[in-house]
Amino acid sequence: MSKSERKITNCYTCLECKSCKNMTKRKFESGDHVFQNTGKCSECDGDLLVTMIFGETIE
Amino acid sequence: MDFTNFDLDEFFGMGDESNPLMMLLWIIPIIILVFYGQRIQLIVSSNEIKKDISKLEEFKNDSRQKLIHYIKNTLTPKDDPVKKIDSFLEYFTIMPIDLDPNGIIPKINHLVHSREDFTRLQVKSLFNEISDFEITKVHNLLEIVTTLQLFHKITRHLYLTAKKQKNFPLILPLQMMIPFIMEEANALKDAVESMKNGQPMGDGIGPMVVGEMMLTTDKQNAAFETVWSKSAYEGRELLLVKAEGPNATVGRPGEAIENIIPQNKPDLIIMIDAALKLEGEDSASIAKGFGAAIGGIGTERFKIENVATKNNIPILAIVIKQTIKEAITLMSEDIAKQAKVVRTQVYEMIEENSKSGQTIMIVGVGNTLGIIQ
Repeated sequence: MSKSERKITNCYTCLECKSCKNMTKRKFESGDHVFQNTGKCSECDGDLLVTMIFGETIE
Repeated sequence: MDFTNFDLDEFFGMGDESNPLMMLLWIIPIIILVFYGQRIQLIVSSNEIKKDISKLEEFKNDSRQKLIHYIKNTLTPKDDPVKKIDSFLEYFTIMPIDLDPNGIIPKINHLVHSREDFTRLQVKSLFNEISDFEITKVHNLLEIVTTLQLFHKITRHLYLTAKKQKNFPLILPLQMMIPFIMEEANALKDAVESMKNGQPMGDGIGPMVVGEMMLTTDKQNAAFETVWSKSAYEGRELLLVKAEGPNATVGRPGEAIENIIPQNKPDLIIMIDAALKLEGEDSASIAKGFGAAIGGIGTERFKIENVATKNNIPILAIVIKQTIKEAITLMSEDIAKQAKVVRTQVYEMIEENSKSGQTIMIVGVGNTLGIIQ
């Protein structure tokens, strides 16, 4: 197996609360889009915004 | 060791007392190399190329299979889509004649748009009901499989022609090009997964920068699959343009800019796009420059340059460097993190290059898959 075939890329979604600026990172879920509102912040009940969706490669 | 009694004749096996077998030992390989050297090189080179062609075939078949599986299992096609998909893959495009290049851009533009419209209709015809988001995804997936099929067909053709004619020089251009073809093919193969999942790709950094600036604004249609809105910054009016997300599309920014400029003449255009990095450059590094930062076949860039020249509007560019693989596969963390940095640089650019009361157009160029506005 070549080097590139041994790499696994996991996709993550970064969420930021519009009010308290609290940032969380979770596994990507189908239907996630960057700049989408995804529910309420667990700390302050503010709106959560998807700020980034990115891949992390594990060798 | 004593080298003073070295005898050249003896060394080459030509002396009186030399063994004729020793003479043959060095003459035979020379004869073989003179007459069969090219053929040996052809065998060595062609073995390497053959392995790459097998890989290309595997990539093509895998991506085709994944597309069919996606359509059958995730979407709801009317009938079995296999026959229709296979017929799409065989479609070709004949570029307009360029013997007289005058007026060729509108012809290319017409051809490209016709092809896009046709493919979209064909994709739509596979389903009773399908969202625009899914149409653009299937459209992009079809383009990936078609490109891989084309790579496989062309490399196989060149390889088989060289082999058939036992013509070594014919295989040299292929030997030089194959690493680049394989790099792109590998990237295309890897792009299938993130495309299916609707995840943003590295090329989406331009729309990501402008997308956030558009969040609280009133969006309007600027051209096909392209939106624009107005915003303000430090006394300047901002005209924000990007492809319509979260669809897998680059939109038609050239047409959009042509449509917006007559009513809202900007004093400056700033374009943000992903750019292929040179070897040795860092991924996700940012560079600023002049001119229309937009890739593709060239028709959109032509339109932007044309309308900017007619209206005497300077164009500035910010590019985010990345490899071809990073550009078309799932966005890396390094690239995603640069969106904030680029946005700051755009505001700095506005302050440095315009005065209060002026209008600035900001265009986020790239595929906006998974990025809304």
